[in-house]
Amino acid sequence: MRRNKHILAVFLLVIFMLTLVGCGGKSNESKVVNQGNDPAKQVSDPKVEENEKILMDQLQPLPEFNKGEKIGILVITLANPYWVTLKGSYELAAKELGVNVEVMAAPTEGDTKSQLETLQAMTAKDYQGLIISPIEPYNLVPGVVSANKKGIKVVNLGPGINVDAVEEAGGKLDGRITVDFAEQGQRAAEYIVEKIGKDGGKVAIIQGIPGAGQSEGRTAGAKKVFEDTRGIELVSIQPGNWDRNTAYNIATNLLQAHPDLKGIFCCNDVMALAAADALTAAGKRDGRIIFGVDFIDEAKEAIAAGKLDGSIAYSMDAYAKAGIILCLKTIQGMEVPKQVNSPLAVVTRENIQEYQNWH
Amino acid sequence: MKQYKRFLMMWDQTFSQILLGLVLLITVILLGLASPFFMTWDNWRNILDQSALQVIIAVGMTFVICTGGIDLSVGSITALSGVCMAVAMHAGVSVEMAVFLGIIAGAIVGMGNGLLISRLNLNPFIVTLGTMAVVRGVALIITKGIPIYGFPREFTWLGNGHIGPLNPPMLMAVFIALLGALVLNQTKLGNYTLALGGNEEALRRSGVAHKLYKLIIYTICGITAAMGGMVVTARLNTAEPLAGSMFELDAIAAVVLGGTDMKGGRGSITGTVMACLLLGVLRNGLTILSIPSYYQQLAIGIIILVAIIISELRLKNAPGHGNTIYLGG
Amino acid sequence: MSQSIEPAIKIVHMSKSFGNIEALRDVSLEIYSGEILAIVGDNGAGKSTLIKILAGALTSDEGQIIIGDKSYNFLSPGRAISLGISTVYQDLALVDCRDVASNIFLGREPVYAGFLVDRRKMQKEAARILEGLQINIPSLSTQVGLLSGGQRQGVAVARAVYQGGKVIIFDEPTAAMGLQESAKVIKLLLKLREEGMAVIVISHNLNQVFEISDRICVMCHGQVVAICKTKESLPNQIVGLIMGATVKEAYNAAGVYSDEAI
Repeated sequence: MRRNKHILAVFLLVIFMLTLVGCGGKSNESKVVNQGNDPAKQVSDPKVEENEKILMDQLQPLPEFNKGEKIGILVITLANPYWVTLKGSYELAAKELGVNVEVMAAPTEGDTKSQLETLQAMTAKDYQGLIISPIEPYNLVPGVVSANKKGIKVVNLGPGINVDAVEEAGGKLDGRITVDFAEQGQRAAEYIVEKIGKDGGKVAIIQGIPGAGQSEGRTAGAKKVFEDTRGIELVSIQPGNWDRNTAYNIATNLLQAHPDLKGIFCCNDVMALAAADALTAAGKRDGRIIFGVDFIDEAKEAIAAGKLDGSIAYSMDAYAKAGIILCLKTIQGMEVPKQVNSPLAVVTRENIQEYQNWH
Repeated sequence: MKQYKRFLMMWDQTFSQILLGLVLLITVILLGLASPFFMTWDNWRNILDQSALQVIIAVGMTFVICTGGIDLSVGSITALSGVCMAVAMHAGVSVEMAVFLGIIAGAIVGMGNGLLISRLNLNPFIVTLGTMAVVRGVALIITKGIPIYGFPREFTWLGNGHIGPLNPPMLMAVFIALLGALVLNQTKLGNYTLALGGNEEALRRSGVAHKLYKLIIYTICGITAAMGGMVVTARLNTAEPLAGSMFELDAIAAVVLGGTDMKGGRGSITGTVMACLLLGVLRNGLTILSIPSYYQQLAIGIIILVAIIISELRLKNAPGHGNTIYLGG
Repeated sequence: MSQSIEPAIKIVHMSKSFGNIEALRDVSLEIYSGEILAIVGDNGAGKSTLIKILAGALTSDEGQIIIGDKSYNFLSPGRAISLGISTVYQDLALVDCRDVASNIFLGREPVYAGFLVDRRKMQKEAARILEGLQINIPSLSTQVGLLSGGQRQGVAVARAVYQGGKVIIFDEPTAAMGLQESAKVIKLLLKLREEGMAVIVISHNLNQVFEISDRICVMCHGQVVAICKTKESLPNQIVGLIMGATVKEAYNAAGVYSDEAI
């Protein structure tokens, strides 16, 4: 009887493994099906087209499409709506450009080790190119080197991989596409400063994970504007670790310490939304500016509803498409610019109507 | 008949290990069938490389869990020791000395845990929960939150050098696992580790310096965690203050999956090593199959639960099992 | 009592309090080699405290333990064992998840090459000791938790013997044991006496005490109220003493009076 139980347990495990393997097969087939945005529903939007054109101009001449290249994509985590949206954009662009993509991610935003392990496992596959977005500048370096060794092209999208570290480890990045993080912080801060007006007042910054490229860049950009503006006092920079709950608590504490706080810049929308919630819960939302970055769907609704003051946007679809095009160019052996920058848009309460179809 | 009884006893004692080995084998075969990329040497090198780090940390954790304790601070220790090595090297200290200092830092934290737990008789969970935060805080303070980057070649070699087809972390893991198995099974320290978990009072009444042994065991765990920190830091050529988050849970999961009893008194290094390999193979295999990270967490969680259920069933039945054998003879 | 023989252990004027409670009050006691001394008394009479001090598990407030020509104010468990005082605790203090040999040698494992535990020697020695004590345990690699109560007791005794004890203390050796197993344990105690050890037994079972002991020490409220030769005492007297009657009352009630016993 007891022995039977053991055998049953083993059996269950095996079944479980088989199911997983089965799932794997299925997900392979359905990889180009878009989950986030249904293409049929998408309306062409003048703002997006304008954005995409600026990007594509940087990528001329374009590579050949519909050749079915296999590209592996590693994002940070699918536990964050930003990356989930980007995954949808990647898959949409892949369909349009006729390439195969597989999007992988680390389990959580802070799990640098798992992200590297995922990348290393990906280099064992038959991808021709990889598009990777690291959690922090150093954690993927050994993975880049092993991809180089196998002749897989590596494009860095978004947060930067430290180029010196890659070179020192004997590897190289084949291309890089990013948004200028400092500019994001700067433009958000400029809006906050303008709204606070001549009287000035206290402001604070909620960072992402300290040391992470986006976080440091945006913080630096915003910090510079705040410090250079007369009358604005930057009272605190706190690490929110990209985490909703952490940011919520930080916002609550900030308000406790500085009841006369006039504005908070958060390094992403998730944290900005949390800060807005915290202020609303404390009954002190009115008269305070909260600004995020990324313009995720939830932020779009929140800005329209007046909950959030604004966010820094760039077209995810254009961004992902540009990333894939850049990767294709490297695979096809074409020259690529040293760095491609995605254009930015400042979305606020005032102009949110123009961005309703943004994607 | 006597031989048969012997065999049954042995079977029972090594049951979880045989089971684990079987599961590992089946998993490998299934993954090999499912993907042509799984069974390549490049990929296996990745798996071994990743498992090596986990083995190094989990061996120390096995000792602690065998005493019926737990050490939640290992993840923070990996960060702190890495940061200490980094700071030392950037201050111009030689690589050997820097490594030594980093490992001493880990040993000191482990010793601190051990002192609080054995001398003041505090709960290991709470103590190490506290040191986990304290040590992480210290690592963040030292680095001001910014990763420290760029070390001499001799140091980074420790993380990604080549020794034949293998690399230094793999050899370190093999060495530490063998040493751990020897110590746990063949020395007084190992005997007392298990006895501490089985019946600490009995050990005390036998005149053994049980508090000293507890202290030594937590120090060992601190040292293995620090070696893990060395490997992480050398591999990435960066000391991150946030490195090693969740390492403690990974290590505990491997130890429990390997058949070591959370209540202490029973444990096996072989089991721990096999569990590390199984977890490594799974993570890698699920990635190779392009299964989203959501499912990876689910899969690993379920496997740990199944392992605990099996081991509980086995323990619950253990005394009855023994008696039936005697009746048979 | 013949004074020509040196006692194996002498306890002199020992006192111990836990807060306001005086667990031991000026207890003096001598134990000789080759005898079984039974300590009886009601719950809370101080028996356990006394033997815990002897075993080194507790420290007395006052008084000495004299062994040979040396006097000790307190012992640690390790010290007590190395001085030849071994204890078989009521809970046996066995590590259930370890095998028989590991338990017998707990704290005194033979080593070779400096640090490696010599398992083969342990197995061999354990078999020898168990055989010498006529304790029958089928396999030495069995976990102790899987053994029967009597076998477990046997392992605990074997450990005490291996520790080289000249004095072996038994705390309630047959409590919660079946008749057959009790008989085995009693045989074991008699065998230890035969081999010239001093055996101290704490027991609630007066029949058993009368069956095996040479002397009976009665404790009440932390004091030794009487030490009598078993042969010259009657169960009723001992019961009376345990219940707190004075010696005179107890012996009068029983219709006997023995000066020598006091």
